[in-house]
Amino acid sequence: MPPKKIDIAVVVNGEPTEVAANPKAPLKTVIPKALEQTGNTGQPPENWELRDGNGTLLDTSKKTETFGFSKEVRLFLNLKAGVGGGWA
Amino acid sequence: MGVNGQSADPRVSRSKFEREIDEFRRFASDYAKRGWLLAEADFPRAFVVMAAPQLKPPPIVTGVQFDYTDYDLRPPSVRLADAFGREPYKASELPTTLLRQTESEALPAGLALPPGMLAQRMIQQQPLMQSYGPDELPFLCIAGVREYHEHPAHSGDRWELHRREGAGRLARILEIIDTYGIRPINGYGVNLVPQVSGLTQGEVPA
Repeated sequence: MPPKKIDIAVVVNGEPTEVAANPKAPLKTVIPKALEQTGNTGQPPENWELRDGNGTLLDTSKKTETFGFSKEVRLFLNLKAGVGGGWA
Repeated sequence: MGVNGQSADPRVSRSKFEREIDEFRRFASDYAKRGWLLAEADFPRAFVVMAAPQLKPPPIVTGVQFDYTDYDLRPPSVRLADAFGREPYKASELPTTLLRQTESEALPAGLALPPGMLAQRMIQQQPLMQSYGPDELPFLCIAGVREYHEHPAHSGDRWELHRREGAGRLARILEIIDTYGIRPINGYGVNLVPQVSGLTQGEVPA
């Protein structure tokens, strides 16, 4: 029987959405879903960063279940800085 | 350019600005834990105060002045500013330059490697806050910020390429300022200046 999915609230660039996540899959699998649900399809998932409520960057290669998220968890997905800091 | 720098329908810009503010307020308690405090929001401007809660006592590091005039036909203007007086910082006054570590294989100008030798990756630190000089207003040099896209050096990286990614959204820009300017702060810098106030004497002889 496939593992029961858990719902994770993800705030994408400030906009909330809820993603059904497979606890046995890497956390990064929630990123494309969250992007698609919020219409942020212009940049690939690797150009986004996922943080917890304290602002700590999460290692999204780990399985979702290893984080022990509570039902009230809220994650924050933001576009990385990209190229910058130079004149050209 | 239209009235007050507004070319887009002002109702559209206002509506998008209000969405930014509403979404920030929805998660205001989460953001407050990270030291992000919305001090004022009155279209087209918003002012956010950013503190460093990891220090005790926590310092207010900077204010951030957003101007969403003409959004999202144009990106928002973003300035680091004094949290109390709200004056934008000159480059020499910045409490943080948002240092970022980057890797490069390029050698400094004028240097070349012998044939057959591979370049090692160089790690360098680069400020995301850029300016022409210490008395100039610095700008946040990332896509999604008006001052970046209006700079002649970035004419090849147009706002239109980033607009639909949410590059100019309030939470995203605050996240970048937090990542490079607030979270790396791990203590207070203290200068002690000892002064000689006279001589001390040990045992007083009989």
